[in-house]
Amino acid sequence: MKTPNQTDTNGTRPSLTRRQMLRLLATGTATAAAGALLAACGGTAPSTPPGSAPAQTTSRPLTPTFYQWIVDLHPSIPQVNSTFEGLNFQIAPVQGFGIERFVAEAKNQESTWDVYVGMTPFVEMSQLIKADVIEPWDDYIPKDVLDDFLPPIREECTVNGKLYSWPFLLDVIGMAWNSNLTDKAGITTVPTTWDEYLANAKQVVDSGAAPYGATYDARGWRSLAPFTHSMSTDVYTSEGLFDFTSEPAVEALILMKKIKDLANPDILNEGTTDGGVNNTPDEGAFAAQQVAYYTKYFNAPLRFAQTGGFSDKLQMAGLPRFANSQGGTVFWTTGACLFKYGKNKEKAVEYMRALTYNQQIWKDSIAGSPTAHPGQLPPYKSIYAEWEANKPEWMQPFVALVREQFERARAINNHPFGLTQFVIGKPYWEEYLTGKESDPRAALQKAKDAVAAEIAKAG
Amino acid sequence: MATVASRVASAARAWRSTYRVSDYSNLLFLIPATVFFVGWQIYPIIRVFVLSFTDYKYLERNPPNFVGLHNYINALNDPLFHVGMLRAFVFTVVFVPLTILIPLVLAVLIDRVTNPWLSSFYRIVLLIPAVIPGPLVFVLWKWLFDFQIGPVNTILVEWLGIFTRQTAPQWLGGTPLSLPAVIIMEVWWGLGYHTMFFLAGLAAVPKDLSEQARIDGANEWQLFWRVIVPRLLPILSILVVLRFGTAMSVIDEYLIFGGFQRTSPTYTWTVYMYDLAFRIGDWLQGYAAAIGWLGAVVMMVFVVGMLYVFRSRD
Repeated sequence: MKTPNQTDTNGTRPSLTRRQMLRLLATGTATAAAGALLAACGGTAPSTPPGSAPAQTTSRPLTPTFYQWIVDLHPSIPQVNSTFEGLNFQIAPVQGFGIERFVAEAKNQESTWDVYVGMTPFVEMSQLIKADVIEPWDDYIPKDVLDDFLPPIREECTVNGKLYSWPFLLDVIGMAWNSNLTDKAGITTVPTTWDEYLANAKQVVDSGAAPYGATYDARGWRSLAPFTHSMSTDVYTSEGLFDFTSEPAVEALILMKKIKDLANPDILNEGTTDGGVNNTPDEGAFAAQQVAYYTKYFNAPLRFAQTGGFSDKLQMAGLPRFANSQGGTVFWTTGACLFKYGKNKEKAVEYMRALTYNQQIWKDSIAGSPTAHPGQLPPYKSIYAEWEANKPEWMQPFVALVREQFERARAINNHPFGLTQFVIGKPYWEEYLTGKESDPRAALQKAKDAVAAEIAKAG
Repeated sequence: MATVASRVASAARAWRSTYRVSDYSNLLFLIPATVFFVGWQIYPIIRVFVLSFTDYKYLERNPPNFVGLHNYINALNDPLFHVGMLRAFVFTVVFVPLTILIPLVLAVLIDRVTNPWLSSFYRIVLLIPAVIPGPLVFVLWKWLFDFQIGPVNTILVEWLGIFTRQTAPQWLGGTPLSLPAVIIMEVWWGLGYHTMFFLAGLAAVPKDLSEQARIDGANEWQLFWRVIVPRLLPILSILVVLRFGTAMSVIDEYLIFGGFQRTSPTYTWTVYMYDLAFRIGDWLQGYAAAIGWLGAVVMMVFVVGMLYVFRSRD
């Protein structure tokens, strides 16, 4: 038998014996097992031999991660970043609202990032809480900031009395129109009811001013829910789900069909980015000046009027209402969550405070910048109060409009199915929109049943 | 004096004579590949198999419970799984023949080009799609098929006048045409790659065999079916089996062209599986694993059947 240091007489390389090989493997396995066992018991596997000094652990810099669109629409964010030395700014792997990477890391009780800017409460907050990925801000956020949030926004971001989302960008669903086209159609009135809205849209088509009168985004949280809210905001079940079979929802669906008859033919199609969520047909039609009237969160007409080069002809107003109703709409905020297994919690608070109170961000958002015009608004009472007291020269009229709409808006309930209920239900209520089902109630019942079936699968 | 060759031979003999099973250092060199194979191939398969018998929900903090065949029984009764499988089959049945036959015909035609420059030119042009990165291909075809600004609809509406802007085909976004759109893109993408396979096979077909057949009075059609196709059968069988597997398990293209619209012809069993595992409710990964295994078993049955059909009869 040869030892590893022996050389063969014929010049071949040294080799390991079976015993040595097994010993080597056993040593490696035992070391790994010991480390794993220690880690499992809550200890830390020794990384240095006993007796030697442990290595100095260096804490990482603050590491925020952003949903890509926020960075695209708010070009002043780097300005805030530059005031935080060593900040490790990253783009989040969350295409199509995907949070699987965050969940996977939390399962291992770790997080690459400290804070995620891009969470919308009704979309993914419940899931992130359930999976123990995020923790409340309450232990870290200053009381003056907490008290500064507009009450409905604070409520939207709160679960069981704890604030899980630090709101940043406020979006409200409203109405916009291209006055280029409405002028051409001879329209001089602003529609305040859905009947007027439909009449105006028809006039646009009949006059030949544009091929299509009106459009919307077919995703339920951007059309069915706000249209329903425009009749009543009391349309949620005791479990917190959207009540598809409520009378306002039925009326909203009937309205959607009427608008669809005056809209771009691809209105019901999925979007072509973000798993079908974004780059939707309504955006293209509005930007191309193919359609006059448009209902979506206000930042959409602002952005696509800029894309289409008719920002000066863009007009906006609140969402029309049904006759004999007070009118309402949907709002949501996109904010930040604090990773439970992240680091730099206090620094994250500092960063979020600097980010959300930054005047340049709000100026660019409201007045527009060379690259974008998102029109998203801040969540703070103090900022609005300040603007009211000293109106900035760049202030736009739509801000007051959005604020006024916001007072009548309601957020979609936080629920693990908050967003997906609309994804699951969409094919079924669309049977009515496409004429496959003549009864809107039957179509919405199918949607409700489909959601219930998915919830039942979860057990 | 020993020649170089004899020295090499004797050294080889010496090495062989000293090589024994006890020479375990060789195993060290197998470790990287073994670790990769076990860690990234075997372990996930086994883990998914184990998961498929549990009620594992990714967002739940409680440990999973063993549920036996419950997930499989549910999946077999799940209409979304049925329709998803059916859609995947529809795609496969249309896509596989097209992605095999069109390159085969092209290869036969290119093989007959005698001008070497022209022959190289054709090969290069055909290979262009194969070397374009996937994301770029998706972006390109999404633009081509765009309802409002896409060149395909521009040609159909403005050049040919077959449709109006209102009635133009809607290729993207989960419409009935989304599946044909994906098929067209996929066939185009694989065109050069598959043609090269067949050209390599045709290069191995002796030219005098074709000449002999012609002398015996075979026409082009007979020559193709009786001489060329039998010689290309091994390549054909490999491509059919490979493409069947990839066609049944497509997911990226479906998500990009059709999103998560459940009525879309692109909402196949693979999209449903992903939807269940990473998007809906508590992320039912145990159930999704069962669906994955059922899909894999169905595919394996077909693959084994195809391998039997294409077995060597030499």
